[in-house]
Amino acid sequence: MDENILEINNISKVFPGVIALNDVSFAVKRNTIHCIVGENGAGKSTLIKILMGAYKRTSGSLFFEGKEYDPKNVKESMNMGINTIYQEINVVETLTVEQNLNLGIEENKLGVIKRIKKTDNIYKILKEIDSSIKLSDELAGLSVAQKQTVAITKVIASKTKVLILDEPTASLSEFEVSKLFEILMNLKKQGITIIYITHKLNEIFEIGDYVTTLRDGNVIETKQVKDVTSKSELINMMFGKVFTEKYIPAEIDRNIKALELLNIKNKVLKGINFELFKGEILGFYGLIGSGKTEIARVIYGLDKKEGIIKLFGKDIKSKNPLSVISKGISMIPEERRTQGLFTELSISENIVIMNTKKISRFGITSAIKERSIAKYFIKRLMIAAKSESQIVAFLSGGNQQKVVISKCLNAESTIILLDEPTRGVDVSAKEEIHKLIRGLARESGVSIIVFSSELEEILTLSDRIVLLYEGKIKKVLDNSSDIDSKSIMDIVTGGN
Amino acid sequence: MRTAKINKSVLQKLVIIGILVVIVIALSLLSKQFLTAANFYNVAVQVALVIIVGCPITLLMISGNLDLSVGGTIAVTGILFAKFATWGIPLWMSALMACLIGALVGYINGVLVVHLKITSVIATLGLMYVTRGLAYIFSDGKNINAGLPTNFDRLGRMFIGPVPLALIIFIVIVAIFYFVESKTVFGKYSFAIGGNRTAAELSGIDIGRITLLLFVLVGFLAGFSGVLLGSRLGVGQPNVGVGFEFDIIVAVILGGTSLAGGKGSILGMVIGAFIVGFLANGLNLMGIASFWQSVIKGIVLVGAVVLDRLIKEKIK
Repeated sequence: MDENILEINNISKVFPGVIALNDVSFAVKRNTIHCIVGENGAGKSTLIKILMGAYKRTSGSLFFEGKEYDPKNVKESMNMGINTIYQEINVVETLTVEQNLNLGIEENKLGVIKRIKKTDNIYKILKEIDSSIKLSDELAGLSVAQKQTVAITKVIASKTKVLILDEPTASLSEFEVSKLFEILMNLKKQGITIIYITHKLNEIFEIGDYVTTLRDGNVIETKQVKDVTSKSELINMMFGKVFTEKYIPAEIDRNIKALELLNIKNKVLKGINFELFKGEILGFYGLIGSGKTEIARVIYGLDKKEGIIKLFGKDIKSKNPLSVISKGISMIPEERRTQGLFTELSISENIVIMNTKKISRFGITSAIKERSIAKYFIKRLMIAAKSESQIVAFLSGGNQQKVVISKCLNAESTIILLDEPTRGVDVSAKEEIHKLIRGLARESGVSIIVFSSELEEILTLSDRIVLLYEGKIKKVLDNSSDIDSKSIMDIVTGGN
Repeated sequence: MRTAKINKSVLQKLVIIGILVVIVIALSLLSKQFLTAANFYNVAVQVALVIIVGCPITLLMISGNLDLSVGGTIAVTGILFAKFATWGIPLWMSALMACLIGALVGYINGVLVVHLKITSVIATLGLMYVTRGLAYIFSDGKNINAGLPTNFDRLGRMFIGPVPLALIIFIVIVAIFYFVESKTVFGKYSFAIGGNRTAAELSGIDIGRITLLLFVLVGFLAGFSGVLLGSRLGVGQPNVGVGFEFDIIVAVILGGTSLAGGKGSILGMVIGAFIVGFLANGLNLMGIASFWQSVIKGIVLVGAVVLDRLIKEKIK
């Protein structure tokens, strides 16, 4: 019972410019549920990828069942009996349950795939976990929880010894979560070891035997869950006390409402009400699945909704970004490469694209104006580039993000929505971007909403902080230097 | 200091110009008639239609769409142009109506793609069959030559000085589209949409309107080509333009336009069209059977694209 199934010894992983994991060591005992917690960027997913053989470690060693373990690729680790259920569940939507279960492990006779029989082990496992799923069901028609079940079934049937789950409850309902926990407890009884990665601290107390806390690529501590006295102890371990930048207080005129949301509802949002004042920075904080991105998308006219959005007191009925932008709202999207940038185009072509009126007359563009606008932003945001005609694909993450921000600033909006404005950006670029955001609000009177999954960023920037949990606003706080990050974490993880 | 982007597109052009030069030299060694002014005019007139329709199609493909219906559109508009003329409608009016009918086909393609969200390959494939069928229906499956006015063939066969009018028309259209591609908001948006559709939407680009306009432009110029071709042949023929859409796509791809969108160039397409044109012409002059011409054309297309990729990877 006390034997270590997996030992992680002094693992480090260095990416160009970033230390993702720094001398990480801990052991996972056989037949336990071992939780790993940490903020975004703490190194959780890097660690999984190393365990799965998807990344090469920079240094350190792994032992699996007492033997040195050095997976060269994912297939090798799977063959050894280590499997992961990722957040984006690895199933093929267009195939049936049977085809999914067979995928990659098809037993065939002369090339004809053997059908799954009722006596097959995999069928029994599926029925045991969820008897309502039929082999002929198409995956696209199943709920997220059921898709997860199919993925878990497949993994269990392939003689898994260690099952890693990455944020499995991010998009599950309460009922589905309790069902998943039942499944996991059952698997544990059958002798499977589970590594459970989560943001949600309550879950650790519910199913965890051990918990390892990661922060900035370091292991803070590994403990038995029964020895953890309270959630705040975990929160302390996760966040420590790291405030490099300080919040700079500002006088906000609370007479002018720039933006007002009244009872906004959709699939994720359950009645959102708030107001944004002129020149204010409003910060939205919540975990994955809390509805942060959805609020940004609703304001930007991307998702359907019920309820009213008012811009300076006037109802806006915009149904697409084009019309929202024309009314003076712009957004810096969450994913810069897939949503923000035209990577094949140059810096200047990217910067001017949201406001081509500035560079054109009767639809004919002026290369001179385009260049001068680009040069202005390159200087203002200190974008490190050879020239404005360099294509953005080859810029660093921080500089790419600055191009996205420039593009948005060039739209000259009165309200700017920033979804994860500094994700994947190095520390110095981060500070520059924060300074810029503050300057926009304080000096130019732009009203700003920051959506971030980094509490530090929210505390540094926001005049008021909105806390979200499962599509609802739990609390709105005025920022001040003595704000209590522990109570914030408590609220966004489902406490009171 | 020149930047990576410029180097890359210059390189692309150099590769394809190199291929063109190699083909021209090879063919002039193989056939004595090849390297003559008369023959060059001949090729230019032949590729003129491909280039005229290739211009808007290059932009359309840059935006990430395809149009397979232009061959059928050329046939049906050519037939209708002749038909209108036989009814005594003035020639210029008949030509204009044929162009507008072409634009209508493009508009239908655009509505299918933009509003009914059908992928462009499927939508335009449907219209390819419909237009071809209509060309036969409107003509009863026969050539329309009885009752045509005597000046019916003027537009297609006219010379201005020593230069065929068709040549002048295609140069003007290339110039216009080169300008649209590089100097207009419309051109920029086409690149943006093909390069990253999501980012284009989030940047407030009206993807639907741009796409629709691109299809209408393709249709209009296909109609215009139908008129030019009908006039040059001096007859309305329902079976013209078979495979025309693929000749254009070959030219566009040889010219460095990506099928996935976001990259491409009008001038590249022009060079690509000449490669195809010279090749067909040279093989004809050498008396090679048309079956073999088809085989060689296919090999040259794939070979050119492979060569282009190999050279680019070497340089990286």
